Amino acid sequence: MTGSLLDRERTVAPAGYDRFLIPPAALAVHLSIGQAYAFSTFNLPLTRLIGIDESAPGDWTLAQVGWIFSLAIVFLGLSAAVFGRWMERVGPRKAMFTAALCFGGGFLLSALGVHLHQLWLLYVGYGMLGGCGLGIGYISPVSTLIKWFPDRPGMATGMAIMGFGGGAIIAAPLSLLLMNHFKTATTNGVFESLLSMGAIYCAFMIFGAFIVRVPPAGWQPSGWTPPAQRPALVTNANVDVDTAWHTPQFWLLWGVLCVNVTAGIGVLGQASPMIQEIFGGRVSPTAAAGFVGLLSLFNMVGRFAWASTSDYIGRRNTYMVFFVLGMILYALIPTLGKLGSVTLFVLAFAIILSMYGGGFATIPAYLRDIFGTMHVGAIHGRLLTAWSVAGVLGPVLVNYIREYQIGHGMPKAQAYSVTMYIMCGLLLVGLLCNLAMRAVDSRYHHRGIDVANPSTRTA
Amino acid sequence: MKTRLAILWLVVGIPLLWGVAKTVENALKLFQ
Repeated sequence: MTGSLLDRERTVAPAGYDRFLIPPAALAVHLSIGQAYAFSTFNLPLTRLIGIDESAPGDWTLAQVGWIFSLAIVFLGLSAAVFGRWMERVGPRKAMFTAALCFGGGFLLSALGVHLHQLWLLYVGYGMLGGCGLGIGYISPVSTLIKWFPDRPGMATGMAIMGFGGGAIIAAPLSLLLMNHFKTATTNGVFESLLSMGAIYCAFMIFGAFIVRVPPAGWQPSGWTPPAQRPALVTNANVDVDTAWHTPQFWLLWGVLCVNVTAGIGVLGQASPMIQEIFGGRVSPTAAAGFVGLLSLFNMVGRFAWASTSDYIGRRNTYMVFFVLGMILYALIPTLGKLGSVTLFVLAFAIILSMYGGGFATIPAYLRDIFGTMHVGAIHGRLLTAWSVAGVLGPVLVNYIREYQIGHGMPKAQAYSVTMYIMCGLLLVGLLCNLAMRAVDSRYHHRGIDVANPSTRTA
Repeated sequence: MKTRLAILWLVVGIPLLWGVAKTVENALKLFQ
């Protein structure tokens, strides 16, 4: 019974179905899995499970706890790459439901790990099982949204991926609220909070899974006809996922995403100490926390705004803006620091972080333009390995170069300048990858039946 | 259909707005 409810055939929308009922399903999943970016709120409490108010002998260290998030991001990339093709076959409902069980189950296993004080249970729970939930959940609504919104694919996927940014800004205060609520003299509330969040997120994602619908075969928005003359980089053919990653276009886009994420993620992780060190004494830790919050907001808003803009100016032009404007802003940061202008510094980073989010949100529509809609979700899944690489590369670049500079006697306020210029160089690489983008050669086009849309023969 | 649309958007919109409000409250400390 449950199996049939989850089948793709049971999710086909009836005639006249309002397509704006679909984004809430995608948002329910992305708002949940976006919690991952706020997992750090648990880091310090996890190092005080025995000591409660401060770490005691036998408590886990911050370095040990830090691996939970790293594992989750690695498993996000791996599962998105591995399960993408399966997701295209079984449809969004089964994929979302699976993601809900993995993500919720990851929380429950982690809660058990906290209760038994077994760190490996958190690695397996949140890191591996939860990471799989993140990966499958992230890609599951993408191709469905693109099929429902062929006229505005950027806006549609931007809306969902905005949810991932939004998930972090919900989860950070929610985690604190729950831990404060459950805190007693004998517990710091982590066990109960993980248990509660597992149940809440699992239920919210299942809600998303049961309201998602796929459009009937051959469906098009009323009054819309595909343009007869498509722009050079927008194809009406399809490329199979296993063929796509043998094309140069896949690796150029992989480079584009990796560079864009690397440039933003390192800054996001170091935002608080960076603003305090650059403006030594003028920015308090509380104000720095406000800066981090502001960046999260711009990261979220940028996802929707830039992806929607890409529907009008084109995907390649959108990334041109990211790379050219990004280079200008990164190059200006050391000067703004020397000028002592906190406002201009904050504004520059707000724009940079909006483009970081925009890069994530625009990539599915870019993939659809280049490889068609047939396997766009699965191809997106494989491209997300770029995120895993950038997740390691970005923080390493920012942290290690800073430490190296300080170790060689450079004042803390100036230690970020070299990093900013390296970011400019990285963005130049991204710009070149983007400039090299061409339409996929027709020999790569799929000539069979689209299994997710059987009435449609492609190419 | 319109009621269903409104309910679904509210279900996802309310938590998102709560998160945005909390973050704005935090972000304002930067300018104090």
